[in-house]
Amino acid sequence: MKTLNILLIEDDMIEVMKFNRAINSLQLNHKITEANNGEDALKLLEQKDNLPDIILLDLNMPKINGIEFLKILKNDERLRYIPTMILTTSSNKRDLLSCFEIGIAGYMLKPLKYEDYVSKIEKLLAYWSMNELITA
Amino acid sequence: MSQEDIEVYKRALKREKAARKAAEEILEQKSSELYDISQELKQSNSKLHKLVKERTTELEGVFENIIDAYIVMDLWGNVLKMNKAAEDMLGYTAENQEFNLFSITSKDEIDNIMSTFELLMSEGNVTDFKVKLKTKKGKYLTTQVNASLIYNEDNKPVAAQGIIRDITIENKYRQAIEAEKQKYSRIIANMHLGLVELDRDERIVMSNQSFCKMIGYTEEELLGQVAKEFLPSEEDKELVHQKTLERRAGKSTAYEARVKTKSGDIRYWLISGAPNYGLNGEMIGSIGISFDITDLKNLQLQKENLLLKLEKSNDELHEYAHIVSHDLKSPLRSINALVNWLKEDNKGKLDEVSMQNFAHIETTLEKMEQLITDILEYSSVGAEDKEKTDVNLDEVLQELIKILYIPEHIKVNIISELPVVKGDGTKLQQLFQNLISNAVKFIDKPQGLIEINVKEQKEYFEFSIKDNGIGIEKQFHDKIFKIFHSLNKRKDSSGIGLSIVKKIVDLHEGEIWLESEPNIGTKFYFTLKK
Repeated sequence: MKTLNILLIEDDMIEVMKFNRAINSLQLNHKITEANNGEDALKLLEQKDNLPDIILLDLNMPKINGIEFLKILKNDERLRYIPTMILTTSSNKRDLLSCFEIGIAGYMLKPLKYEDYVSKIEKLLAYWSMNELITA
Repeated sequence: MSQEDIEVYKRALKREKAARKAAEEILEQKSSELYDISQELKQSNSKLHKLVKERTTELEGVFENIIDAYIVMDLWGNVLKMNKAAEDMLGYTAENQEFNLFSITSKDEIDNIMSTFELLMSEGNVTDFKVKLKTKKGKYLTTQVNASLIYNEDNKPVAAQGIIRDITIENKYRQAIEAEKQKYSRIIANMHLGLVELDRDERIVMSNQSFCKMIGYTEEELLGQVAKEFLPSEEDKELVHQKTLERRAGKSTAYEARVKTKSGDIRYWLISGAPNYGLNGEMIGSIGISFDITDLKNLQLQKENLLLKLEKSNDELHEYAHIVSHDLKSPLRSINALVNWLKEDNKGKLDEVSMQNFAHIETTLEKMEQLITDILEYSSVGAEDKEKTDVNLDEVLQELIKILYIPEHIKVNIISELPVVKGDGTKLQQLFQNLISNAVKFIDKPQGLIEINVKEQKEYFEFSIKDNGIGIEKQFHDKIFKIFHSLNKRKDSSGIGLSIVKKIVDLHEGEIWLESEPNIGTKFYFTLKK
């Protein structure tokens, strides 16, 4: 399985811990970069020689929210090709619609139970590991 | 006697003879002439006689056949003669000789009658004399009399003749028309509609009180002003001009426009204009009726604003519900993860009771998660106004029974085929889902039975969902539809399910109620409009 270069954009510390712990317990050796908000993420994405394979994005964030970040991403000549998945607790239909309109590669609801979460993340990463990706 | 004498005698005799003969001839001629004349006289006399007779008959005919009532009376009012029309009109006949015209007049008109009679005597005639006459039947007629005197050979008045016309109805008509006219004048003066009459050049020729009050100018100030220039506010001048053209084309129009009053206020008027035609059908201008709708208009504007605001705040509320739900759910996820890690990291180090308590924390988290989901769902019902479409409830229910968790011991029977209704498919599915899962939840019998039925009524369908569960006591029948009124503290019940059901039924203009007996079962009824 391919090792993925993943950018996780998430402001909640425990959510980040959850993601890392899930990767560890699943014994996956993907490379994970963390950004606590959209601004930090955009800064990281300036390094064009070190772009992530996929982006996991939380919608509810301070400063630039998920949808705004997504718009900026999709307006960028290069960054628009990075598959971006939404990780959120909100099942707001409007958010779902506007995300797909702007352009996303997936919209995943975070389940309540940690076991369910691990299982979802496992499948998500397994899927993207099997995909052909545009590498820098 | 001498010869000579004889000759003389002879000649004399001859002359005499000739003279006698001439005389005879003359006599004969004269007598023949006389005869002729006498014949002629005889003839013309008979002709005259005939003529007189003809004229008399003719007059008699006129008298009898004249449409108007005709009466001849002596100078004391005693009727000498009256025609058929007069008899018909008054109900009396002249034959009984005791009919006096003055006796059928009204007492209160006596002065008027006397003075008119004096006038008749002095002038020889009167015209258009109006007098009330009482018929034999007791009915009062308003009549118009034209009368003149009749004289004898000595030129002395001996009688009077008159033509009497019954103008009661005519009089009534006139009075009615006058009353109508006054009524309309009063209406025009007092109505709360402004009325204005314009000539062909759009100049004001008449305006009623209301109009003056509405615009703030007196009628004097308004007269002669060109209405379309003088009245509308700057913004609506073009509109009014346009409408004036339409009206001139013979089209009656009603439209809203802003006008500027004398004090400079802008008022909204509803203006209705129609062409005004003269007696010969030619257009002589127009009549405009206006009604001040400023208050109404303001209310309407206010309403529109409120609606916009409401829509916005609904929208905000909807968003807010989602954000709150997200913000509330996130910590639950974190707690769940942390509890999980504590369990994982301390495997074997924790005793049975601690592990049990961790399990309780997890159940509590689940319940809370469900609660938040339900609240969000409740607040979302009705937030999105979806177009109503035809929903085949039979299909909806078949689908639902496939996906719903229904335990082995519970049977679901659909008694009659469900109809197609107009509505929101997702919500209708939710409606049945909530009611069926409710029934499933509260069935405590070893053999559970859920029966779904429908009855078609005139304007709606009446559905029923019956179970043989624990039942609901009468005192709670109203309460259960209120949010957070779960009667049973259960892990899988937040007390919102029936509130959502009620909200969906409301959205479809239906009603919901129930019949229930504790320990026997519950039957929910609801209606959906056809």
